[in-house]
Amino acid sequence: MENKQNFFVKHKTFTIFSILGILVILAAIFAPVLTGGIDPTTGSLSEALKPPSSEHLFGTDKLGRDLFARVIYGARTSLIAAFSVVILAFVIGTVAGVLAGYFGKIVDAVIMRIADMMIAFPGMILAIAVAGIMGASIRNAVIAVALVTWPKYARLARSLVLKIRDRDYVSAAIVTGSKTPYMLLKYMLPSAITTLVITAAMDIGTMMLELAGLSFLGFGAVPPTPEWGLMLSEGRAYMTAAPWLMIFPGVAIFVVVVIFNMLGDSLRDILDPRQE
Amino acid sequence: MRKHLGKIAAIGLAAVLAVAALAGCGSSGSGSAAASSGASASGSASAAAVQGGTLRFGCQNFSSGGIDPAVETNTAWNSSRYGILETLFKFNDDVQVVSCLADADNYTMSDDHKTWTFNIIPGIKFSSGADVTPSAVKASIDRLFKDGASGSTKPEQFLEKDAKITADDAAGTITIETKTAYPDLRANLADPAFGIVDVENTKDFANGIIGTGPYMVDTFTPDVGYTLKANPNYREPVPFETVELKYMDDAQAKANALLAGDIDMANDVANKSALEELKANSDFTVNIANGTRTGFAWVNFNKILKNDALRQAVMMGIDGQTVDDVTLGGLYGYGYSVLPSNLPFNYDKLTYKYGYDKEAAMKLLDDAGIKDSDGDGIRELDGQPVKLVWVTYENRGLGDIAEAGKQLLAEIGIDVDLQVVDSQKDWDLMVSGDYDLISQNWNVYIAGSPDTYLGNWDKGNEVNYCGYENDKYSEAYKALQTELDADKRLELITTMQQCLLDDAAVLVHGYYTASMISNSKTVANAPVHPLDYYWLTTEVTPAA
Repeated sequence: MENKQNFFVKHKTFTIFSILGILVILAAIFAPVLTGGIDPTTGSLSEALKPPSSEHLFGTDKLGRDLFARVIYGARTSLIAAFSVVILAFVIGTVAGVLAGYFGKIVDAVIMRIADMMIAFPGMILAIAVAGIMGASIRNAVIAVALVTWPKYARLARSLVLKIRDRDYVSAAIVTGSKTPYMLLKYMLPSAITTLVITAAMDIGTMMLELAGLSFLGFGAVPPTPEWGLMLSEGRAYMTAAPWLMIFPGVAIFVVVVIFNMLGDSLRDILDPRQE
Repeated sequence: MRKHLGKIAAIGLAAVLAVAALAGCGSSGSGSAAASSGASASGSASAAAVQGGTLRFGCQNFSSGGIDPAVETNTAWNSSRYGILETLFKFNDDVQVVSCLADADNYTMSDDHKTWTFNIIPGIKFSSGADVTPSAVKASIDRLFKDGASGSTKPEQFLEKDAKITADDAAGTITIETKTAYPDLRANLADPAFGIVDVENTKDFANGIIGTGPYMVDTFTPDVGYTLKANPNYREPVPFETVELKYMDDAQAKANALLAGDIDMANDVANKSALEELKANSDFTVNIANGTRTGFAWVNFNKILKNDALRQAVMMGIDGQTVDDVTLGGLYGYGYSVLPSNLPFNYDKLTYKYGYDKEAAMKLLDDAGIKDSDGDGIRELDGQPVKLVWVTYENRGLGDIAEAGKQLLAEIGIDVDLQVVDSQKDWDLMVSGDYDLISQNWNVYIAGSPDTYLGNWDKGNEVNYCGYENDKYSEAYKALQTELDADKRLELITTMQQCLLDDAAVLVHGYYTASMISNSKTVANAPVHPLDYYWLTTEVTPAA
């Protein structure tokens, strides 16, 4: 216990941003409690575009929906989508990269050429193309962003695996009869996983921004889903008359992205000894 | 930790700077807007309008700014909108045919409506200085059919391709003989597709076509716009010496350009908040008028909405008036018939039983056994939850209408799967019938009559995309095709509208309004016309 205390005291930044991150996640989970049971997708049309007041903390949107409820529920959409992208890209990229690095030759060539193809395009443009072809939805946006993100993990995993692939202890393990799955799981993956986890942690904020960007452009969440990027897009038309429509979702994106970026940064400091 | 403190401080500082910059933008933006609009009002722009006679007009760019009426419907409309081409006849604000290049009152028509002789008004010249003779008119129409064969303008929808046109320059008449009987050929020839072109002298048909309008092309810059100058041969005084026609598609950009004094006039600021800001500003005049466009959702009679009670309840569950007035801020004027109330089609004589009444809608559903038996808030029909697929696309407020509709229908226990797609997919889904409701915005007044549009609900018609069938409607539609008497035609059109209302066959969103906004200190008059292919006319005049 003392050790743990020491750990948290020693890494104050990590502790602070972990707590903030957990608070954001809790806000998303307990959205119905926080908003007092207000449905973010219903409202009274005649109550449209009301400024912030005690009745509607963040005001109302064009359809009279409570903006506070929409911002809080928006955390659910954004967090689930961002974590899904990171997990998808992490899993696909890591598996592909470890396999490419370990087996080399044709496996390496095929996997890495596919990855090269994916990164030959600017990420956002490719994501827009993929989301455009598959149709606008938050699920398709997640798939689109994951598709353009996994090569980063694959290249990283491959290079980390290649670093140890020809070490003597690896050869010794193979000679002494270790089977391929065992080699992959016990030798290759552990050598790469730390760096990959750091990358994933630092990617959460970026992915959140990319997904919000896709929704803003109309390739992500579709109405009436409460999603921050979409809310910004909807608010754009009312920028001068009802600025709160852009301010609150914008602040929400800013705060949450900063929290997760800082969390990723501090995690890197803890896990990556080179930074010490 | 120190490093992180630095980082946190940096983020904080960045945030403060960003907010300060934005606040700075805001205040300097509004300050400079006020200053420059004041300056333009009292100084430069006003002086320009009076002394230099320059009108700066911000408008939407359709079809890359082409102005050849043979190419596309949009390019035909551009030629009319920019005041470059004119037609033999035109529509006034009551959508009645009036004279333009030909005399609308003095013409002859055979009893069978197949031979028409029009008098070209003498003395009218093209901007090139050439006379508008019957031969020149014939040459223009001949070229339209020749060059427009592969275009989207489809002039044959207004005048059959094999029509025999005879020009008599001595008598100043043009005679058109057709196999089809047209109720009023003058209205057909008033479509911008039939803009009269100086075929002999035009060298650049795409962007430098020569016509008889008050303005003529000086320069064209792709994606930027046109510089137009007054037609020296125009038959009346032309209000502005030059017009700088600037392309701007975004409604907010147009509003900002007006406020900043960068333009004097803009069309269609289709943004509620921007429009209200301009309305509230005494420096600007906002003219809004009902046009000839109806926003409506097709109701698919081949799917769940064939159920009468459900369909009627959907109509009664949607508060179209509030959606149009509040949600869209007057972008549409509410009405329930498929033809706009401002057009002379007896809107006042129609009756509608399915206007907004939430309680009655719920009772109707309850009585029909469409109830929420599992307590999830959604009613069931034949054991299945009622979930309507409502397809729409982001154009002219249709997205907001459907979203509001989803919210309102949820209140009476009907779920909506809202699908916001692009315009092409919206069209494809309409054709394939993969929808329950599909929102669109149609121009109802094609070729000077609603005939083509009303074919949408004719049984077995190839453009009937919703499966609606009503023998009374189809009989009236069939009769309309051959009826030439104006009163009888009106009677038939009224009957057809009433059929659709009685059957709750179309969910009408309202009638799209066109707007023209001008700086009151530089522009005296900037009217908006029901037919939105009239923008830059001689009615747009500089402030004194």
